Amino acid sequence: MRWPLPFSPRHLALMPIAALMLLPLGWMLLTSIQTLPESRHFPPVLIPSGIHWQNYPDAWNAAPFGRFFANSMIVTLSAVAGNLVFCSLAGYAFARMRFFGRDVLFVALLATLMVPFQVTMIPTFLIVQKMGLVNSLPALIVPNLVTPFGIFLLRQFFRTLPIELEEAARMDGCSRLGVLLRVVLPLSMPALATLAIVTFLWTWNDFLWPLIVITSTNQSTVQLGLAQFQGAHQTNWTLLMAGNVMALAPMLLVFIIGQRWFVQSLASTGLK
Amino acid sequence: MRRLFLIAATVLLVASAGCGGSSSSNGVVNVTVWHGYEDIEGKAMTSAAARFNATHPKIHVTVQNYGNADYALQKVLTAIRGGAYPDIAYLYGSWAANIARSPTAVDLSSRIKEPGVNWNDFWPAERQAVQVGDKVIGMPALVDNLALVYNKKLFDQAGIPYPTANWTWDDFRAAAQKLTDPSAKQFGWAYVADGSEDTVWRFDALLWQAGGDILNSDNTKAEFNSPAGVQAATLLQQMATVDHSVYLDNGNGNYANLFNSGKIAMLFTGPWDLSSFPDVDYGVQVLPGLTNHQTISGPDQWVLFDNGSERTQAAWTFLKWFTSPQQAMIWSTQTGDLPIRASQTQLPGYDAYVKKYPGVSVFVQNEANALKARPVIANYNEVSQAMGQAIQAVLLGKGQPQDELDQAAQQVDQTLATGQ
Amino acid sequence: MTSRAARSEHVSGWLFVAPAALLIGIFGILPIGWAALLSFQNNDLLTTPTWVGTQNYHTLVNDPVFRQSVNHTIVYTLLFVPLSVGGSLALAMLLNARIRFSWFYRTAVFIPVATSTVATGLIFNWLLEPTYGVANYLLGKVHLGPYGFFQNPDQALYSIVAMTVWGWLGFDVIVYLAALQGVPESLVEAARLDGAGRWATFRHVVFPLVSPATLFLIVWSTINALQVFDEIYVTTRGGPLHATTVMVYYLYSQAFEFFHAGYAAAIAEVLFAITLVFSLLQLWLGNRRVHYGS
Repeated sequence: MRWPLPFSPRHLALMPIAALMLLPLGWMLLTSIQTLPESRHFPPVLIPSGIHWQNYPDAWNAAPFGRFFANSMIVTLSAVAGNLVFCSLAGYAFARMRFFGRDVLFVALLATLMVPFQVTMIPTFLIVQKMGLVNSLPALIVPNLVTPFGIFLLRQFFRTLPIELEEAARMDGCSRLGVLLRVVLPLSMPALATLAIVTFLWTWNDFLWPLIVITSTNQSTVQLGLAQFQGAHQTNWTLLMAGNVMALAPMLLVFIIGQRWFVQSLASTGLK
Repeated sequence: MRRLFLIAATVLLVASAGCGGSSSSNGVVNVTVWHGYEDIEGKAMTSAAARFNATHPKIHVTVQNYGNADYALQKVLTAIRGGAYPDIAYLYGSWAANIARSPTAVDLSSRIKEPGVNWNDFWPAERQAVQVGDKVIGMPALVDNLALVYNKKLFDQAGIPYPTANWTWDDFRAAAQKLTDPSAKQFGWAYVADGSEDTVWRFDALLWQAGGDILNSDNTKAEFNSPAGVQAATLLQQMATVDHSVYLDNGNGNYANLFNSGKIAMLFTGPWDLSSFPDVDYGVQVLPGLTNHQTISGPDQWVLFDNGSERTQAAWTFLKWFTSPQQAMIWSTQTGDLPIRASQTQLPGYDAYVKKYPGVSVFVQNEANALKARPVIANYNEVSQAMGQAIQAVLLGKGQPQDELDQAAQQVDQTLATGQ
Repeated sequence: MTSRAARSEHVSGWLFVAPAALLIGIFGILPIGWAALLSFQNNDLLTTPTWVGTQNYHTLVNDPVFRQSVNHTIVYTLLFVPLSVGGSLALAMLLNARIRFSWFYRTAVFIPVATSTVATGLIFNWLLEPTYGVANYLLGKVHLGPYGFFQNPDQALYSIVAMTVWGWLGFDVIVYLAALQGVPESLVEAARLDGAGRWATFRHVVFPLVSPATLFLIVWSTINALQVFDEIYVTTRGGPLHATTVMVYYLYSQAFEFFHAGYAAAIAEVLFAITLVFSLLQLWLGNRRVHYGS
């Protein structure tokens, strides 16, 4: 049966799904252009009286958000870089190399994900304090330079690559590191892009750890800045949502750009 | 190897906990204050610090927002544990008894006797809240109480006269029924039914009005399952499950927005909520009562931490100044918070304050109705949770008042006995 | 491999993992050791702790709320993992096509993941509000409901499942999208030319080729599901009547509401054990059934 409409049937399935997924953004945008009294309604006012763009500059000026964005960027980009490097190295070793204690070490690293942060945050704070890093950006960067999640992800992806390519390179005299850099990584762009995006997301949105370890405004991140709109008794919804939209923007930008790498136009994987 | 590191780390930690780090530079002592204020109150805090610094050249106060209450305790505890705590912190009343146990919290019992403090000028509820055994663990930061806030327009529409100071529970219940209209999705009353302290403290006011108590006088047994408690819980049960006149809020603050949208007629709430109702012509009245109109107060404190005698003295100087009648009046006028001292009502600025915040004078007078206080014990939160679960069960129609309260009392007795 | 080559393989293997192992050792393993020690103490984080041996664990065994929390955690996990992993694979296949605006759809799917939990909680509080919420309004139009959702002890946990699946789907989708890039179109076409239907192609070509990602997502989702907390914190707070009290929520309230940090650490240790067992099982099964390489 020929499809009678000029567009792919996938659109029919994807549009309602996309609508459902876009709900938070829609709601955030809506709240961010309301006036504060308007936001104090329940059920929420769906059709605002006007577009109150003023909320955006108001939110930006309520705290040194320029500084916060810069700090968040530094921390996040460092974490992304660190993860790409260290997780590649370790992931490759776990995927392709045989060394003493490999599987035990892998499970041990994975095991560190199995204890909730609420319990480990205090000893982590003590360790960071011993290093003299409290209330500094390195305190936010160093513990996030590598995560077992990234190691596990890359290990899985590396193992799907055809090993013949790597063996051929080694027979040509390439070192292990050379194989990683020249053969494996170029073929793993989707996985690396995914890791980069996810690391960016987590580090950018991290709240509890920065809250505990940062005590001055100069070192604060965007998420800490947003928390200031939520008081004990009152929340300034309009400014909070405006702030959230602004905080979301870099995230979305990274994602849209990153799509180029994790959804390739399907070239061959190199062998067939 | 790891264990050695841990032991070494712990030893170092304990050793370093005593040091406060560099506390003064060229003769000026630095004092750090952590608070959770934002917006208007945040600005008021910053300007108060500026005023103090201008008139006290030897001390420099820095104020810092520590995020909102939800996470603040985790941050404060980590800081205490890590020996990196501020000089003064704003702490919620429910944490007081526990924080007081830390050796880092300074006992103010001798300091409050200094001239100029006038300890008895503070409302009774505040003084009770900072008294943990023999220790006075903080200065009053905030005081409030529960009163009846109502939507005048909804009353007019239903043709009911506004609540009076003599309203009984029956008057209240009848009014709530008349003000409930399922077809318009309108409720007569709203109650926070998430089982948290918000659920419990409203019940406490009713319990006390009926002549009951939460615990016995030496805090060893529960007493809230007395006939007075059952009477209070039955009122809640009847209104929620029979009249269906109560909107059950799940703890996320919807009730405030609903009230502002004209969907709820009456609330038991405090002055902090008033600025959330810009679209309502509201009235404030004392709580409906039985033979009395007791209410409950929820004070918070400024706690002083020990960072060395120099900083402690400087921090105390700031606190004493900040809680003095004149400064407290400036604060109230800027933020709308209730006066923390009874003498503030006699100050020249008081009338302007009352005019600026409609309804606030009823709250101030209502403070005299806050006769009892919740027990200031370390495991109060467990008592609260047991009671909260019981009340929530009653409101949801999942249990009978006597059974639920008895069950909770049993749990509480056990908690109090083991000190766990 | 000659023994000298084998030895150098051991050395280079360790060199490759050394930076990661060091960092994770310091920031991951040390804190866990501390937490384990904490579970043998009576510690309120404020005063001097006392050592109480295994008393916390004994108390756990007899604690009805703890048992409920284990129950809720496992039920939640058993629902969350299949729904999110299965649903995301289907969604990824839908999105893995050269149709117009595919970048838009993919970004849309990702948005719930990037949105803060606070915002997500607010939206669902509004959607699922029993009296005024959109869900009951729409359900009422088709003569269903009204449901209590977050306010009904029997429905609350399932509402949390729905909310978290919605919130995390996009994450699994991008992992699958990346994995699908490794499925050569030529293979798919060859299968179709041989007469295989869509389902058969999926089952015998696509699914095996993305199985490494599937294993990863199952293990990862399980670890995360067992530790669900944030979404519950911004909506039901463990209620109503403990219906959504999961293990991490319980330990959080023990540590930061009741000041029983030692007890909380004991709960964390039990959770750790459960998670480890689940993960080892999945990894073992996975190693036998996952298809690596071409």
